[in-house]
Amino acid sequence: MIGNTHVTVPGSVPPGRFSSKLLEKRDLSDRYYLLVMSRPPAFDDPGPGTFVHLLVPDGGRFFLRRPFSILGCDEATISLLIVEKGTGTQILRRIPEGTELDFIGPLGSSFPQMPGRTVLAVGGGVGLAPLYFYGTRAVRDDCDRYRLLYGARTRDDLFLDSFEWSVEGIAFATDDGSYGFSGNVVELADEELTRAPADVVFSCGPTPMLEALVELARSRGVPHCVSLENRMACGVGACRSCVVPVSIDGAESYRTVCKDGPVFDAEIIVWNELPRV
Amino acid sequence: MSEHSKTDVRVRIGPVEFKNPVFLASGICGYGEEYSPLMDIQKLGGIVTKTITPRPRKGNPPPRIHEIPTGALNSIGLENVGLDAYVAEKLPKLAKEKIDVIVSVAAEHIEEFDSIAETFAPLDGYKGVELNLSCPNVEEKALDHGRNPAFVEKLTRVVKNRLVDKAVLVKITPNVTDIGSVARAAEAGGADGISAINTVLGVDFDLATGKPVFFRGSGGYSGPGILPIALQKVWEVSRAVSIPIMGIGGISSVDDARKFFVAGASAVQIGTSLWQDLELPQRIVSEFEQHPEWMKKGEVKT
Repeated sequence: MIGNTHVTVPGSVPPGRFSSKLLEKRDLSDRYYLLVMSRPPAFDDPGPGTFVHLLVPDGGRFFLRRPFSILGCDEATISLLIVEKGTGTQILRRIPEGTELDFIGPLGSSFPQMPGRTVLAVGGGVGLAPLYFYGTRAVRDDCDRYRLLYGARTRDDLFLDSFEWSVEGIAFATDDGSYGFSGNVVELADEELTRAPADVVFSCGPTPMLEALVELARSRGVPHCVSLENRMACGVGACRSCVVPVSIDGAESYRTVCKDGPVFDAEIIVWNELPRV
Repeated sequence: MSEHSKTDVRVRIGPVEFKNPVFLASGICGYGEEYSPLMDIQKLGGIVTKTITPRPRKGNPPPRIHEIPTGALNSIGLENVGLDAYVAEKLPKLAKEKIDVIVSVAAEHIEEFDSIAETFAPLDGYKGVELNLSCPNVEEKALDHGRNPAFVEKLTRVVKNRLVDKAVLVKITPNVTDIGSVARAAEAGGADGISAINTVLGVDFDLATGKPVFFRGSGGYSGPGILPIALQKVWEVSRAVSIPIMGIGGISSVDDARKFFVAGASAVQIGTSLWQDLELPQRIVSEFEQHPEWMKKGEVKT
């Protein structure tokens, strides 16, 4: 082990409360879909990694809002990449275009700017969203070089035919080998780091993938920024529902994914006590 | 309350007057600052800040929240910054924002409650305290104390003696056989009001593991599903005491809030529904300003 190195993560900004129209809903694959909603003029420029906390428009049957990382944001629209995972995301998939969506945002911390540095970003499944967002902005001096690795189960989940991949330097991995690198995206990351070192690793995806990346980044002595998810209630740091265990200078405490995160320095997370979502 | 002018919706709890009867419940709104970008908290009757304890508490291990169709179960475990940080950092911020504050406190022993009250006695920037004798999510004896009328009376007296010019509310648990006897004990101890109810003890199981969803097993159930339970308990309390009652539990509409007044409450606190509907508290204030007669306590006939 080379050692643990730290990285500073930009904190959250005061959010707003909005209602905006669903402009487009597009199925990307069996499990994945895209929601594009109009961007309210007062919606702050979101950092990559921030999320919106969306009320499922179903007459209050789904009690909690759902947090979704921002996939893209321009002057007119906000895009969300969603994977159908439970009843809430099932209902969201069925709502018609034109529906008014109630949401809070942008919420949480972002992946840091790394001017002059090389970033290796590793996304698994729906964890692609914030890293893709970063990649579409990276040309604007956020970092010197941005390589994005995206791992999914099968070719279908890469939605190559239904999505305009507009990020440079992306490589794909599929668990079943149906496209790109055959195997786990962490194995691909290992190969990539051997081929060309990076100054920092960004990641977002399933916990086992993140844990494997923690080991990999540590073994290479590379700082690692990770975006976590958790069951969430308020979204603004008040209710303390979505906490994850952290250890800072030997002191253990809890931090909220919604306000202190979702992007954290991977080295402060107590990985073996992390809830499995 | 019959002298209300059209927009006079002030409510008196003991020695303190609040500008309207709509509050945010403890635990929902943190220390106020988290929600200030999203709503005008100053326009509410006040907020009951997250329960503080003599020392900081880490709280329960996650998961801490579990959604069900009628609300949620939580197992937060009184995570809080502790008395000292609250007084040094949180209270001054709230005062600066002109938010009317009721400080929620919990402790294990009467001596600790006394010491907290002693700390608060000389302070400004808050209008009252709410003694949380009913959190279901901690190991300590506080919960059992909250079920013991003799303890409740003694504790309330100790705190009230220190805080003569503040509103002292006692928040009681629904998880008792006779809620009226606990409320009567608080009144006998000099409480200025009763807050009812705290969350209802509940549990859910993960069928994949056969275990409870929370590490601690049971949690606190809140949300629209507990409204009838809360109304029942407030109704019982209103027949047991003559001090004002803050009705809490499952309010997700203006009509829900009105029902608490019918049951005998003088004010309401909004909790879990804030997660969905950030406009609800202000909507209740506005509608009550248009209908101050709704604040008249109901005469419920059985």
